[in-house]
Amino acid sequence: MTTDTCVVRLDKVRKEYGDTTALDGVSLEIRTGEAVAVMGPSGCGKSTMLNMIAGLDRPTSGSVRVHDEELSRLNETKLALFRRHRIGMIFQFFNLLDDLPAIDNVALAAQLTGTKAGPPRKRAMELLDELGIADRRNAYPAALSGGERQRVAVARALMNRPALLLADEPTGALDSRSGEQVMDLLLDLNQIGQTLLIVTHDERLATRCASRVVELADGRITRERSLERA
Amino acid sequence: MSAVWRASRAAVRRRRVQTFVIGLVVLLSTTTIVVALALLEASSAPFDRAFARQQGPHAIAVYDPAKVTDAQLTGQRTGVAAAAGPFGQVTLDLTEGGGPGPRGPLTVVGRADPGGSVDRLNLWQGRWPTAAGEIVLNQPDPGADPRGFPPDSGEVTLGGKRYTVVGRAHSLSQTADAWVSPEQMTALHPTSVQMLYRFTGDVSTKPAVHADLAAVTAGLPAGALIAAQPYLVVKEKVASDIGVYVPFLATFGMLGLIVAVVIVGNVVSGAVVSSFRHIGILKALGFTPRQVVAVHLVMVSVPALIGCVLGTVAGTLAAQPLLSDGFAGLGLDVGINVGVWIWVAGLVGVPTLVALSAFVPAVRAHRLSAAQAISAGSSPRTGHGTRIQRRLAGVRLSRPVTLGLGLPFARPGRTVFTVVAVLLGVTTVTFATGLADTLTRISTIEDRASGQIGVRPSDGRTRIAPEGQLPPTGPQATTTRTDTEVEQLLRGLPDVARVTSVFRLPVPTIGQTQPLTVNFVRGDYSSMGYQDELTAGRWMTRADETVVPSELMRERGLKIGDKLTLELGGRRTVLTVIGETMDGAPGPPGMFVDWRVLTELAPDRAVKPHEVYYQVQLKRGGDVAAYVAAVKAADPAIDAWDTSQLSDFAVTVIGFSSVLSLLLSTVAALGVFNTVVLNVRERRRDLGMLKSIGMTPRQVVTMVLTSMAVVGAAGGVLGIPLGIVAHRYIVPTAADAARIAIPHSVLEVWQAPTLALMALAGVVIALLGALVPARGAARLTIAEVLHNE
Ligand SMILES: Nc1ncnc2c1ncn2[C@@H]1O[C@H](COP(=O)(O)OP(=O)(O)OP(=O)(O)O)[C@@H](O)[C@H]1O
Ligand SMILES: [Mg+2]
Repeated sequence: MTTDTCVVRLDKVRKEYGDTTALDGVSLEIRTGEAVAVMGPSGCGKSTMLNMIAGLDRPTSGSVRVHDEELSRLNETKLALFRRHRIGMIFQFFNLLDDLPAIDNVALAAQLTGTKAGPPRKRAMELLDELGIADRRNAYPAALSGGERQRVAVARALMNRPALLLADEPTGALDSRSGEQVMDLLLDLNQIGQTLLIVTHDERLATRCASRVVELADGRITRERSLERA
Repeated sequence: MSAVWRASRAAVRRRRVQTFVIGLVVLLSTTTIVVALALLEASSAPFDRAFARQQGPHAIAVYDPAKVTDAQLTGQRTGVAAAAGPFGQVTLDLTEGGGPGPRGPLTVVGRADPGGSVDRLNLWQGRWPTAAGEIVLNQPDPGADPRGFPPDSGEVTLGGKRYTVVGRAHSLSQTADAWVSPEQMTALHPTSVQMLYRFTGDVSTKPAVHADLAAVTAGLPAGALIAAQPYLVVKEKVASDIGVYVPFLATFGMLGLIVAVVIVGNVVSGAVVSSFRHIGILKALGFTPRQVVAVHLVMVSVPALIGCVLGTVAGTLAAQPLLSDGFAGLGLDVGINVGVWIWVAGLVGVPTLVALSAFVPAVRAHRLSAAQAISAGSSPRTGHGTRIQRRLAGVRLSRPVTLGLGLPFARPGRTVFTVVAVLLGVTTVTFATGLADTLTRISTIEDRASGQIGVRPSDGRTRIAPEGQLPPTGPQATTTRTDTEVEQLLRGLPDVARVTSVFRLPVPTIGQTQPLTVNFVRGDYSSMGYQDELTAGRWMTRADETVVPSELMRERGLKIGDKLTLELGGRRTVLTVIGETMDGAPGPPGMFVDWRVLTELAPDRAVKPHEVYYQVQLKRGGDVAAYVAAVKAADPAIDAWDTSQLSDFAVTVIGFSSVLSLLLSTVAALGVFNTVVLNVRERRRDLGMLKSIGMTPRQVVTMVLTSMAVVGAAGGVLGIPLGIVAHRYIVPTAADAARIAIPHSVLEVWQAPTLALMALAGVVIALLGALVPARGAARLTIAEVLHNE
C-alpha cells in the first residue's frame, strides 16, 4: 500500500474529554475509493473519530494524516481550507441554514471562495438535479422532508468535489424509505469512485454501502471485517 | 421554590458571559440614569431649589422707622406664611481700599442669627457677629475651589469705621451685603428697617408678589414702605447666568435616560428570549409555567440588582462633583445635589425596568408549549429575513459578507433595538463634540477679544485679585506713570502684538432714563477679536459709530441704525448703532465708543491710570507668564494677569458632556456586544456547520462584524443628522435663554472630515461591541457545537 492510495491514516489517536477517554489509541487506514462503515454502541467514540478525520477537533495524542496532510500541523485557517477542499460532511440532523433556499445552501460551500455567485449556483443546480430534487431547489429547509433535506446536505457535501465524504449517521433521523434513498445515493457515489466513511448504527446501511466495517467499543477498534457487497 | 432557585442558579452559572453583560449594562445604565436625572433636576430649577433650601423671602420690604413702629410691622400678618424682621438697615460706604470686595455703598443689616423661618443664610465660614466691630460678609461659598476669593480673615472699613470680618455667609436672595449684630446696628442708627416675607398666596409673577405686599402693608401709614423687591428679580438674574447651559444639560440628561432605558430593555428581554429553549426543556421536565417565569426573573434579577446598586453609587459619585463645581460658582451653593428621589429611581426604578423587560418575554414563554419553546429557541425564521438573505445570495460580494449583511434581518426586533442604541450613542457623541467645539470657539473668541493678559495699575490702596490667584501682597504703591505712559510701557515689552485701553464710564443719554455704560476704547481694539463676536451689523470704522452688546441692546430696546445722543459736561455727540456683539469688553455690558469721542466730550478730563483697563495680546507663541512677570518687574504698582482661561461653567458643561458621551457610547457598545453574544449563541449550530464546510476563522469574524457594521452604519447615518439638528437647534435656544446672541461662526462646527469621522463612530461603536463575541464565535469548537445540538 503506497501513500497515494491511502486517503486517511490514523495512528494511535487518543482523545480525552476531561476524565472521559473518547478514543483510546485508534489506528486506521482508508484507501482511495473505499467505503468504510464505523459501527459500535452509543458513546464508543464514532463521532469523535469522524471529527478527528474532518479536522473539526484535535486529538490529545497520535497522528491524523489525510491526503498526506498531517492535520496537527495545520492552524485553524488551514484546517478550514482543508475541510473546504478535501472533505464533505453529512450530519444526522442535516445542519442546513434555515434562511437560505435549498440551492443556496448547496452553493454556499463553493461560495466561500471567490465572490462570483453564478458558477457555484450552476453546479449546485446540477447536483440537485442528479440527486433528484431539482424541483425543490427554491424551497426552504423548513418546507423540505427529512429525506429531501438530507439530499440537499449530500449535494452540499459534494459541492467542492471532496476527496473524502464523511457521514455521521446520515439515516439516523430518517424513516426507512428516505433512509434507503440516501443509502442508494451513497452507494452510487462510491461506485463512481467516491471515498466514503460512514458512521452508523444501522447494520443494513453498513452491509449495503460499505466494503469494510470497523467496529468500535470504548474508544478502541475491536474488529474489522471486509464485506462482499451485493 | 427551591427547584426554581436551583434552576436559576444553574442557568446563571451556564451563562456567565451573559450574566456579566446584564450586570455591566445595568451598572452603566444606572450610572447614566443617575447622572442624567441629577442633571435634569439641577437644570430644571436650580434657583428654586436653592431658594427653597434657604426659605428665601418672596419679597424684601424696606420701611421707614420714623413712620412705622416695629410692633406695627410684626402685627401685619395678612397672607403671610412666615416673616423675619424687622431688622435695622443702613447703607455704608465701603471706602476705597477699605478691604476686599466690591467698592461702593453696602447694605448692612442687623440680625441676631443667620437662621430663622425666612432667609436661612448659609454661614459657610467663620461665625455670626456678636460683639461690636464684628461683621459677616455676603459671599457665595466657593466650594472646594477657593481660587479667586479674598483671603480668609480681614478687615473692612465701612463708613469710616473698621470692622473685623468674623465670617462669610451667603444669601441667595441678596437681602444684604453684610450683617452685624442687632446691638451694633442700634449703635449705627438705622435709617430703615427690613422685613422679609414668605407669602401663602400666588407668588409666580411680579404683580402677584406686589399684590401680596399690598395686602400685608394695608393700613400702614402712607410712605411707610420705602422700597420692595420681589424675589423674581434675583431669580431672573440667576436664570440668565445659567440659562445658556440649561438646555445643553437637559438635552444630555434626556439622551442619557433614553439610551439607558432602551439598552436595559434590549439586553434583558434578549436574555429571556434567548433562553426559550431552556424554558422548553424546563417545561418538559415538569416545571409549571409560573415556575418558569420565576426562574427567568431570578436569572436576570441577580446581576441586575448588583448592577443597579453599584450603578447608583457610581452615578452619585460622578454627578456630585460636577454639580457642585458647576453651580456653586453661580452662588447656588445649597440644595444642588443628588436628591433622595434619584437614588430611589436608581434603586427601585431600574429593577422595575429590568423586571418589566424580563416579564414581557417571560410571559410569552409562559404561554408557549414546551415544543414551541424548544424550537423558538433555535435560530429564528422570518419571511422578511429569508427574502433578504436570498437576494443577498446573488450579490457579488464574498459570501461571509453577504451572509453577515443578512443576519440583522433574521431578528428585526432585536436589530431595531440595537440600531436605536447605536443611533443614540452616535447622536450623543455628535452633539457633544459639536457642543464642545462651539463652547471652545466661543471661549476662543472671548479669549481673543479679552486679550491674553489683563493689566490694571493700582490706585495705591486696592490691588486686583486676578481670578485663580490670591491678591498681590507687599507694599502698596501708586504708579508714577500716566495713562499714556502705561500704554507705552506695555507696548514696549517683548512679544507684544496688540494693546487696547478701556475706560468705563456711565454716560447720560438723551431719551434713556438711566445712563448707558460706555467703554471708551483706544488702541488696537478693532483688530483684537471683538469683531469676531459680532452677531449682526458691522464693526465700527468711524468715531461716530458704536457697537453694542446684545444684552444691552435687549435691555434698552435698541436696534441697529438707532442714533444715541450722549451728553457729558454739557457737550453732546450723536452716535449710530452700527453693530451688535455677543459680548463686549470685560465687566458689565457696555457699548464700544472710540476714545476720540471722550476727548471731544470731555477735553479737560485727565483719566487716571487706575481707571483704565488694558488688554494685551502677544505675538503667536508669545509667553504669557513671561510678559506678566515683565510688567510686574517694570512697575510693581501695575497688576497684570493671564486672562486666557475657559469659563468655569463651560468647563463643567464640557465635562458633563464628555462623561455622558463616554458612558453612552460604552453602553451602546455593550448593547451591541450583548446582541452579538445572543446571536452567536442562537446561531451556534449554523456557525458549526459553516465551519465544517470550510469557513475560516477570519471569515467567521468577517461575517459577524459585517452584520454589526450594518447596524452601526444605520445608527451612524441616522444618528449624525439627529445630533446636528440637536446642536443647531439647542445651541441658539440656549443662547437665547441667556438673552445673548451668538455669532453664526460658532455654529459652523461641522465639516466634511468631521462628519465622516462621526459616521465612523457608529461603525466603531458597533464593531468594538461585536469584536469579542465575533472572535469567540470564530473559536467555537465545531465538534462540540454539532455534538450538543
Ligand atoms: N465535546 C465533548 N465534551 C465532553 N465529552 C464528549 C464530547 N464529545 C464526546 N464526548 C464523550 O466522548 C465519548 C464518545 O463520544 P462520541 O460522540 O464520539 O460517541 P458516539 O460513538 O458518536 O455515540 P453516539 O452513537 O451516541 O453518537 C462519549 O462518552 C461522550 O460523552
Ligand atoms: Mg455520534
